Amino acid sequence: MRKKELRTIAAFHTTAAAMAAERLCRREGLEGRLIPVPRSVTSDCGIAWSAPAELRDTLELRFREAGLEVAGVYLLSV
Amino acid sequence: MKENHWLRDHWLILLTGVVVGTAALILTAAGNPKNMGFCIACFERDIAGALGLHSAAKVQYIRPEIIGIVLGSLLAAVAAKEFRGRAGSSPACRFVLGLFVMIGALVFLGCPLRMVIRLGGGDLTAVAGLLGFVAGILVGIVFLKKGFSLGRAYSVRKGEGLMLPGVMVILLVLLVAAPQLLKFSEEGPGSMRAFWLVSLIAGLVVGALAQRSRLCMAGGLRDVFLLKDYTLLTGFLAIWVTVTVGNLIMGKYNFSAVSQPVAHSQYLWSFLGMALAGWGSILLGGCPLRQLILAGEGNGDSGVTVLGMIVGAAVAHNFGLAGNPDSVVDGIYKVGGIGTHGMVAVVLGFVVLLVISLLHLPGKEEA
Repeated sequence: MRKKELRTIAAFHTTAAAMAAERLCRREGLEGRLIPVPRSVTSDCGIAWSAPAELRDTLELRFREAGLEVAGVYLLSV
Repeated sequence: MKENHWLRDHWLILLTGVVVGTAALILTAAGNPKNMGFCIACFERDIAGALGLHSAAKVQYIRPEIIGIVLGSLLAAVAAKEFRGRAGSSPACRFVLGLFVMIGALVFLGCPLRMVIRLGGGDLTAVAGLLGFVAGILVGIVFLKKGFSLGRAYSVRKGEGLMLPGVMVILLVLLVAAPQLLKFSEEGPGSMRAFWLVSLIAGLVVGALAQRSRLCMAGGLRDVFLLKDYTLLTGFLAIWVTVTVGNLIMGKYNFSAVSQPVAHSQYLWSFLGMALAGWGSILLGGCPLRQLILAGEGNGDSGVTVLGMIVGAAVAHNFGLAGNPDSVVDGIYKVGGIGTHGMVAVVLGFVVLLVISLLHLPGKEEA
């Protein structure tokens, strides 16, 4: 069983935006993966980007520069 | 002691699946058609009939289960401060997608939830539907990976989000206070019903739990194929196991591909009907049950989708598109299924879904 750890969770308004975030991070070598949006964030059943906690500022900057609209960025234990 | 993370993360979806399965068994024992304790497509079709939107006399009734699911979701969302008016994500497309998801489901004779309940009754004809549903979801995922999006929803006034729950309250008032205004079946599946209060309570409980757990048949498979996440699928499996065990205990499990209640053995069209429903559900972001839950949470786009599904049910029965169950006539087993109109409608549905999918890929608006 994978142990829970503190992660940066970026939630988006659409699935397409989450997948665009994945492409961006893969292209730039930023670690992370797509996950279902944690229930504590929203009752929506969308997709979020989960990354190491220390990447929070980098991700927010890169998403903003790439014009990716983010619904919220959180530090959560998942 | 080692903490059980899996159970801590999955107990709610497991509980929801067990409760949905148990409610389906109770409703069937209390009068609902066999293997149809819950069916979002069939019950919305019955509501369309009760309102006179179609004239198929055997499938007309205001199903309190649907009312309960929406209002249960509303109450749970309000209690958790999650009720938010949202709308603006391609409502016209969602209406049309809802319409064709309904046609696909009625060709198969059941929504994804009833598909699981049919499987739990031992109905092997539903396997074709399951395979089709999975195929449709995989097609939808291909378009998601290409960037398909109906666009984001925006915050709107709460009144917008209260429209579908409001419609449900009106339907409940009509059912209880003025049933003479409505059309109710005197024979066939529409005439088989649990006492309205039992149905309403079952719907309320299922709606509330589904809102808390995000139970979704299409979302469960999407998460497995796209994210390798099995959380939502756990609910799907819990329903199937609960219904199977319940039917075995009650001696109602019939492991067979013939003579199944309200089902047909035209496998190709069961496959294609559910493929249409699966693809459409992925484009919509959720199965028919999930659309009711989202509408209860204040999502006006899902409210429009539900209205599209109700119109789709009316279209399916007014134009003879829906499947007919297998039957025994004069001692001879007669295979049901769909006629030419239904086949054309399914093909048309695939064309419409393809056009909507292509029109909502990135770059189409910039040209």
